[in-house]
Amino acid sequence: MQYPEPIAKLIDSYMKLPGIGSKTATRLAFYTIDMQTDDVQAFAKSLIAAKKDLHYCSICGNITESDPCDICRDKSRDQSVVIVVEQPKDVMALEKMNDYHGLYHVLHGVLSPMEGTGPEDINIKSLIKRLQKTPIKEVIIATNATPEGEATAMYISRLIKPAGIKVTRLAHGLSVGSDIEYADEMTLLKAVEGRQEM
Amino acid sequence: MYLEQLELTNFRNYKKLILNFDQGINIFIGANAQGKTNLLEAIYVLALTRSHRTSNDKEMIQWQQDFARIDGQVMRQTGKLPLELIISKQGKRAKVNHLEQSKLSAYLGNFNVVLFAPEDLDIVKGSPATRRHFIDMEFGQMSANYLSNLSQYKLVLKQRNLYLRQLKYQQAKDLVYLEVLSDQLAAFGAKVIKIRYQLLAQMEKFAQVIHKEITNQQETLTFQYRTLIKQHALTDSEETIYQEIKAIYTENQPREIEQGTTLYGPHRDDVLFFVNDQNVQAFGSQGQQRTTALSVKLAEIDLMAAQTGEYPVLLLDDVLSELDDVRQTHLLKAFQDKVQTFLTTTSLDNVAKEIINDPKVFHIDSGMIKV
Ligand SMILES: Nc1ncnc2c1ncn2[C@@H]1O[C@H](COP(=O)(O)OP(=O)(O)O)[C@@H](O)[C@H]1O
Ligand SMILES: [Mg+2]
Ligand SMILES: [Zn+2]
Repeated sequence: MQYPEPIAKLIDSYMKLPGIGSKTATRLAFYTIDMQTDDVQAFAKSLIAAKKDLHYCSICGNITESDPCDICRDKSRDQSVVIVVEQPKDVMALEKMNDYHGLYHVLHGVLSPMEGTGPEDINIKSLIKRLQKTPIKEVIIATNATPEGEATAMYISRLIKPAGIKVTRLAHGLSVGSDIEYADEMTLLKAVEGRQEM
Repeated sequence: MYLEQLELTNFRNYKKLILNFDQGINIFIGANAQGKTNLLEAIYVLALTRSHRTSNDKEMIQWQQDFARIDGQVMRQTGKLPLELIISKQGKRAKVNHLEQSKLSAYLGNFNVVLFAPEDLDIVKGSPATRRHFIDMEFGQMSANYLSNLSQYKLVLKQRNLYLRQLKYQQAKDLVYLEVLSDQLAAFGAKVIKIRYQLLAQMEKFAQVIHKEITNQQETLTFQYRTLIKQHALTDSEETIYQEIKAIYTENQPREIEQGTTLYGPHRDDVLFFVNDQNVQAFGSQGQQRTTALSVKLAEIDLMAAQTGEYPVLLLDDVLSELDDVRQTHLLKAFQDKVQTFLTTTSLDNVAKEIINDPKVFHIDSGMIKV
């Protein structure tokens, strides 16, 4: 038996989301049918609003309702330092720290021939342009500690170092409050490699 | 360490099975195709999460079932450790002491095994890829550091090969990114080479002693590790090796772009075996090749004990009948008091029974077992 068209279409839509296969999509679709009409309407509205009202900041590439974004417009922030991250959610995480008052730059990905992303496909060009016309003195690269994240960091550093801008990499090692006893061996190795003089 | 209990659910031809083992020698006897190798495979998979027979995990799930499950009680110096592995169509889940492990590196190393199957005689005769695979499986089991560097090396290699192809076909042109990938590959490559070199040197020492004994002091076995840098440079620091590999990539950049693939690196390594300074691969008799394979495999047991502080469990699949009495005797004598051993055979006739102390024998008949 085939599902009636509306539900088939809904299943198809859910399957477009990452990590959702046909089984989960079917379960979500049937769940949606049982939801209150108000809730479904609000859900649909949020989906459209998120797409319509959100833009990419033309300066830093972060998602924002207004362009430029709040962070880029805030002149009280330190204009001499920028943290380069992979994704908008990394900006959120760093902002929660409440201790960094500089700027950001969002790459929207990392270099990975396997994923078909080359230097042209992520926000690197706009970073270089930005550095040419702003007083940024230090670039902190905060891509993930994966081989692709490291390669992207090295690539960016090679492009901007000749311009005399300081480039630093976020340290990785033990997480705060964690017991050495429970850290896995690779984290420990990294932590030992990145040890600092006291 | 030893395996005290094994429980199988929907694994190959075992619907449900619980077996308790001896610390010494355990023998699985049965006609062909009854499920002897399946048992050794289950023990092997419990240790390494993957089979030595297939790269398709689903093959191990009993036909018509959704999942297979292996539970083991491993006794280690530190106490009893329950391990659990579930293979389903969605993937694998592994638990140590009832806690799910999200990283493979956190699961491996809890239970160590050395398997010797007839195809292992190929370590000597087979292709360089066979030997690399052997080294990677063994060293990966002993060193989380090796496993991690190797898997990152392989990932970067894949990226670099794809990028070289793109450069070849002019779909990309940025050479700065190629240099970044080359440096990264050289860095992981240097780590892989350094560990391979150190562990192979240690293994060679153990293999030498064993080989001398099996051959009545007649033969001296030596290894030679072949990689992209010169022999004498292998003792250099990791940093120096890294610089050397980098130089090789720089020098050969045009050639690698033209070929669209990485031509140099530890993914092309090999190990050569010499007996009395003669290359056994090329010039050894079949007997010498077998003895060499046996010495190398047995050395693995000592190496693992040296690296991890505990003897691994030995799995012998149908190999006794392949070896003559001297080699059989050596194999069983050398380890029977230190190493828990599981062996399969179709009959006890061709096994040198006298030397086995009090084995526990299991008769296997189409997935049914009698002790
Ligand atoms: N996924 C599976 N489900 C059920 N039976 C299986 C499965 N895979 C293999 N078998 C059965 O296991 C038997 C082979 O077992 P094996 O351990 O290789 O034999 P041997 O005793 O000769 O070592 C065959 O009878 C085969 O049909
Ligand atoms: Mg068999
Ligand atoms: Zn912005």
